[in-house]
This record gives sequence, structure tokens and C-alpha cells, in this order.
Amino acid sequence: MDRYQYLILMGLCLVLTLPLEFLFGARVWRRPRRLLTALVPTAAIFIVWDVIAVARGHWGFNPRYTTGWNILPDFPIDEVMFFVAVPICALLTLEAVRNVLARFGKEDA
Amino acid sequence: MIPAYPGFSFLAVLVVIGLELWVLRTGIFRQKAYWIAMAVIFAFQIPVDGWMTKLSAPIVVYNPEVLSGWRWPLDIPTEEFLYAWAMLTLVILLWERAGPSESGEERRRRAGRLLRR
Repeated sequence: MDRYQYLILMGLCLVLTLPLEFLFGARVWRRPRRLLTALVPTAAIFIVWDVIAVARGHWGFNPRYTTGWNILPDFPIDEVMFFVAVPICALLTLEAVRNVLARFGKEDA
Repeated sequence: MIPAYPGFSFLAVLVVIGLELWVLRTGIFRQKAYWIAMAVIFAFQIPVDGWMTKLSAPIVVYNPEVLSGWRWPLDIPTEEFLYAWAMLTLVILLWERAGPSESGEERRRRAGRLLRR
């Protein structure tokens, strides 16, 4: 089970932020085209940086806690999921905060 | 010499600021919601990133040569917050750019069904 730790952590981030979509009306998952327009370039830039850093030995992923399903040498799919999950969590947070401000505040969020 | 990770993270922050101020001009830095959201994101970054970088059983292992040497809070390399700020501000900028933001009025109308007190 240990080797799924990173992947499970990323899955948990997505599951635990789902209420922002459905209870706080974030509407991030429900605007998939807009989501992809924001997510794909961001993930691409940071994955390129990441791949270079790993190749140069700046950091790496503990084989004990990663799947070993490598898309590049020493670069597991788990790490790609990081660049998918974390930005989605951020967008959900932003949209949820806006709704809370609109609901409870007077000003335009 | 500035170590690579804090150095490039700081550079990424400058690039993202420049992108907003001179190219995208979404106005996000003037919105209270953005700064509140970033505070919430940083608060949740601590347990998640803390888990990933804890020295006792790390998921991500850093070459000490590329780090500033500051590991706080928990065992998180402090420059990771610059990195996260750059990445998440970039995705927010592109999200803003990609679609119209609803006005406060539209949100309030929709919020009638949501977040009931």
C-alpha cells in the first residue's frame, strides 16, 4: 500500500475539495473547457521545470511511496497528478471564497 | 550564489507578477477574494506539503545543495511557498483570462440556493 501514498494523497485533495464544487457552488469541474484552458498550460510549464530538475538531480521521488509507473526515467505518473490536483484545489478555493463573500458580504467579490 | 530552488522559485514569482501587470491584466491582485483564497490555500498547503516533505518519511527528496536550508513550517522547504504562489497564481490568472467572472449580483442570486444560513 505504501507505494500508493503519493497518489492517494493527491486523490484525497480532490475528494476533500469536492464539497467546494457542490456545497459552495464553485463551478470549476462543471466548466471543463475553461478549467482545461487554465490547467493545461500551467501543468505543462511546471512539469517541464520538474522534469529538468529531476534530470539534474535537484529532487526526486521516494520509490517507497510512489507507484513506479514512470512516464520518464525516475518520473512517476503520481507527480503528474500533483500538477493536476493542486491547481484544481486552488481554483475551487478561489471560486468558493468568491461565493462566500457574495453571500455574506455586500461588495463585489 | 543563490541555490537553485529558491532562486528559480523567486524568478517564477517575478515572471507571474510581470505576466499579470503587463500582459494579462486580470486585476486579480486588487480582489479581496484572491488574497483570502491564497491564505486558505497556504493554510492547507502546510499539512499536505508537510506530509510530502517530512524528513522522517519523505515522498519528495531534495538535494540539499539546491535548497535555501530553511525548512519551516514542519519540514517544508520554505521556498516551496514561493513555488506554490507562482504556480497557483498562474492557474488563477489563466482561469480569469479564460472566462467571464460572474458579478457579485449574479453570485448572490445563485447563492440563494447555496450556503443557506
